Amino acid sequence: MNIYLRELIANRKSIIIWSVSMVLLIVMGMSEQSALSESGSSMADMLNNMPKSIKALMGGGAFDTSTAIGYYSMIHMYLILMTTIHAVMIGAGIISKEEQDKTFEFLMAKPVSRFNIVSSKLLAAFTNVLIFNLVTLVTSIVLIGSSFMGDVVKLMLGMFLLQILFLSIGAFLAAYKSKSATGLGTGILLITFFLSIIIDMVDHITFLKYLTPFKYFDAKTLIIDAGFNPVLVLLTLGLTSVLTYFTFKFYNNRDLGH
Amino acid sequence: MNVIEIKKLTKYYGESRGIIDVSFNVEEGEIFGFIGPNGAGKSTTIRTLLGLIYPTSGSAKIFGLDIVNNGPMILKEVGYLPSEVFYYDGMKVIDLLNYSASFYKKDCSKRIKELAEIMDLDLNKKIDDLSFGNKKKVGIVQGLLHEPKLIILDEPTSGLDPLMQQKFFELLEAENKKGVTILLSSHVLSEVQRLCSRVAIIKEGKIIKLESMSTLNNENYKRFKVEIESPVNNDYFSIAGVNDLQVNEKTHSFLFKGDINQITKKLANVNISNIWVNEPDLEEIFMHYYSKEE
Repeated sequence: MNIYLRELIANRKSIIIWSVSMVLLIVMGMSEQSALSESGSSMADMLNNMPKSIKALMGGGAFDTSTAIGYYSMIHMYLILMTTIHAVMIGAGIISKEEQDKTFEFLMAKPVSRFNIVSSKLLAAFTNVLIFNLVTLVTSIVLIGSSFMGDVVKLMLGMFLLQILFLSIGAFLAAYKSKSATGLGTGILLITFFLSIIIDMVDHITFLKYLTPFKYFDAKTLIIDAGFNPVLVLLTLGLTSVLTYFTFKFYNNRDLGH
Repeated sequence: MNVIEIKKLTKYYGESRGIIDVSFNVEEGEIFGFIGPNGAGKSTTIRTLLGLIYPTSGSAKIFGLDIVNNGPMILKEVGYLPSEVFYYDGMKVIDLLNYSASFYKKDCSKRIKELAEIMDLDLNKKIDDLSFGNKKKVGIVQGLLHEPKLIILDEPTSGLDPLMQQKFFELLEAENKKGVTILLSSHVLSEVQRLCSRVAIIKEGKIIKLESMSTLNNENYKRFKVEIESPVNNDYFSIAGVNDLQVNEKTHSFLFKGDINQITKKLANVNISNIWVNEPDLEEIFMHYYSKEE
């Protein structure tokens, strides 16, 4: 419990900064949308006539950007990018920080098991991720209006699954080797993110979508298409569990400080 | 009863050596010195005992419990002061000490105040703003606040001024009188000499000597350097007990072990212009004594 509280306090500033940035991002994005809808259908037409590759950068181009939820779905992929970067960074950081800052000698000399340390830290990271998700959810509902609450909640659930997946990726990398875990985790994240965009641009490689979690719960799949695909939900939860298991295992068996 | 029992403890970091076949026991209520030059394996041994790293082979027990399987159980009664203290950003001294205390199921607030007073430590300062010596004091209080039965110290005095060093030694002696066992690692011979009843000497990962302090004190080495005005032979100081004699014009320098009076008699017969007598550092003793023994 003490480690959990300590980590919450240590990450207090960071979660506030992330949350404020998120609120600003959504406010700016959605105010653009209101300007856009006021200009009538001409802007929407222009967006619709853009080349496919540009549309891919704007959420697949399947949405009616003249409605608030349609526009929101378009910027949603950038909200996901932000929350998953936060998740992978906190996952890697919370596990590796003690070794990087050399405070592990203090902590490890206390009567506390490594299992206890890792679980407290993961729980604290999970709490941060959850707070970030809820901040995004509430801000979105306030700005879009409660009439689309069902869709927003769906999108946030998908986002949450991705957050915990990337949290576990970060933690796993840090438990395997504390050095450069944050960099490596962020790298994996960006590569899979760009892969998801490339899949949108190029037609015949959609089978690659299993390789990038960003295609699992994107707005198009959740809102326009079939909703949650149970296989992908299970795959995400399964991956998260396996990575978490190995986080405990590696951290438990490692020589700390080397 | 043995508080620490180490049996053929070996640790390799990949290919590189940590420690090889280290064996020794620390008895209840003694102050045990663990001495050797930097990089000899002192910290590796201590980190293995604390469970930060795992042994490659061999085993060790603390309070009769195996270190690999019973870490948290053992550490309830262990206080540890690392050689370099690093603490969390932005914490005040008292925050850190309370955090430290929160791991033990007892009220440590009274003991924190006592120790802070003895060590002259301001509890309301931010740790980041403290000097190296003051950070070390935080480490000392942090290691002792739960009144452990075994105290493990890794190079404890570096960074402490002599007055604080003195207070710290008195504190350790007082704890020891209460029955606390102490394992003190150091590369400074004199502090081990002052506190410890027995000592293990480690070199290049291996224990090369294990003996009582009184025996080691009889092997009291002094490093002499004498500047002589009157003309003397280069082998003037070449008597029994003198090692590593070097003569550079008027300056004679050597390592001496034995009855100091033999040297003072020699000195009385010549006209000297300057003299230095130093405690040789451990490296020197290793070089001129232990390397021959092996």
